[in-house]
Amino acid sequence: MAHDHDHDHDHGHDHDHDHDHHAPITADAAPGYYEVMETAVREILIAKGYLTANDIRRQIEVLDSRTPALGAAVVARAWTDPAFKARLLENGRTACEELGISFYDDTQLIVLENTAEVHNLIVCTLCSCYPRPVLGLPPDWYKLKPYRARAVSEPRKVLAEFGTILPDDVEIRVSDSTAVIRYLVLPRRPEGTEGWSEAQLAAIVTRDAMIGVIPATLEKEAA
Amino acid sequence: MPTQDFVSRLPNDIGGFEAGSVQRVEHVLEPWEKRCHALADVLDFKKLINTEEKRKGVEALGETLIGKLPYYERWIVAFANISFTKGFFTPTELAEKMAEVEAHFAEQQAG
Repeated sequence: MAHDHDHDHDHGHDHDHDHDHHAPITADAAPGYYEVMETAVREILIAKGYLTANDIRRQIEVLDSRTPALGAAVVARAWTDPAFKARLLENGRTACEELGISFYDDTQLIVLENTAEVHNLIVCTLCSCYPRPVLGLPPDWYKLKPYRARAVSEPRKVLAEFGTILPDDVEIRVSDSTAVIRYLVLPRRPEGTEGWSEAQLAAIVTRDAMIGVIPATLEKEAA
Repeated sequence: MPTQDFVSRLPNDIGGFEAGSVQRVEHVLEPWEKRCHALADVLDFKKLINTEEKRKGVEALGETLIGKLPYYERWIVAFANISFTKGFFTPTELAEKMAEVEAHFAEQQAG
C-alpha cells in the first residue's frame, strides 16, 4: 500500500489492503503495466550498451546497504567526539566519509544541529530528495503531499502530528532539500546518557529523529 | 484555487499549500520498484538522465497524471519519455519490447 500520490486520500490507516494500482500480489500474478515498462526500458538500455545488468545489480546492493544505522553511527560519534562534530557541521559529506560512509551520488550533505534554542526539520517540497547515503530511502510519508506541502508553512502543527510539541521560544528551522543539497538533523543528546558508549548511543538514534520530526529519546520508539 | 497558482507553480511545487494531516505511512519496496530506483541512480551516474531531468520529466506528465500515478510509476514513464527525447530508443522500440516482456512472462506462467 501507500504508494506516493500527490493528491489527498485516506489510505493511510489500513496497512493490510492491496496496492492501490495493482492486482493483488500472488506468486504468479502477471506484472503490471508499469512493471513491464520498467523491465522493457532497462532491457533496451542494456541491449544498446547504455548500461549493464551488473550496474543495476550493484546499485541494488548499494541501496540495500544503506539504512538509518549509518546516520545513527554518525550522530553517536558527533555526540562523543567534539572535534568530529565540528568537522561534521563544517562538511557533512567529508566527515561521513571519514567513517567509511561513501557517497554514491553527487550530493552535498549539510548537518543541522538541534540545540535548546533551535529545532531543525528537513523536507523536500518538490519531490523526495533525502540524505540517502546515510539514511537509505525515505519513508512514504516524506514523499506525500501533506508533509511536503505543510512542513514549510506550519511546521509546529506537522511536528505535533508526530507527537512532538516544542516550547514556543524554540525556533524551528525548516530546510528544503534539492537534487544536490541534502540535509541531516543532528538531534540533541538526551539527558541520562552520560557515560554511554557510542554503540549504546547509536541504538537510540532513529531515522525520524534525523529527519527532525521527533527528538532522540532514551527509548527508541519509531523506525 | 486561483488560476494564477497553476500558472506560477509547476505541479511539483507544493510547498506551503494546504493539505491534510500527515499519515505516517511506509511500505517495503516491491522488487520492481527497487530496480526502478537503481535504474534511476545508474542513469544519473552515467550522465544519461540526471535527478533534475527526472524531476522535470515527472512534472511534464502534468498534474492529472501525476495525481493518478504512484511514485515509481511516475519515474518509469518519465524515463521513457526522456529517453525518446534524447534518442536512446523510440516509442516503437519500447512498445515492441513491452510486448516481448509480457509474452515472455506469459510463457513462464504457462511453463
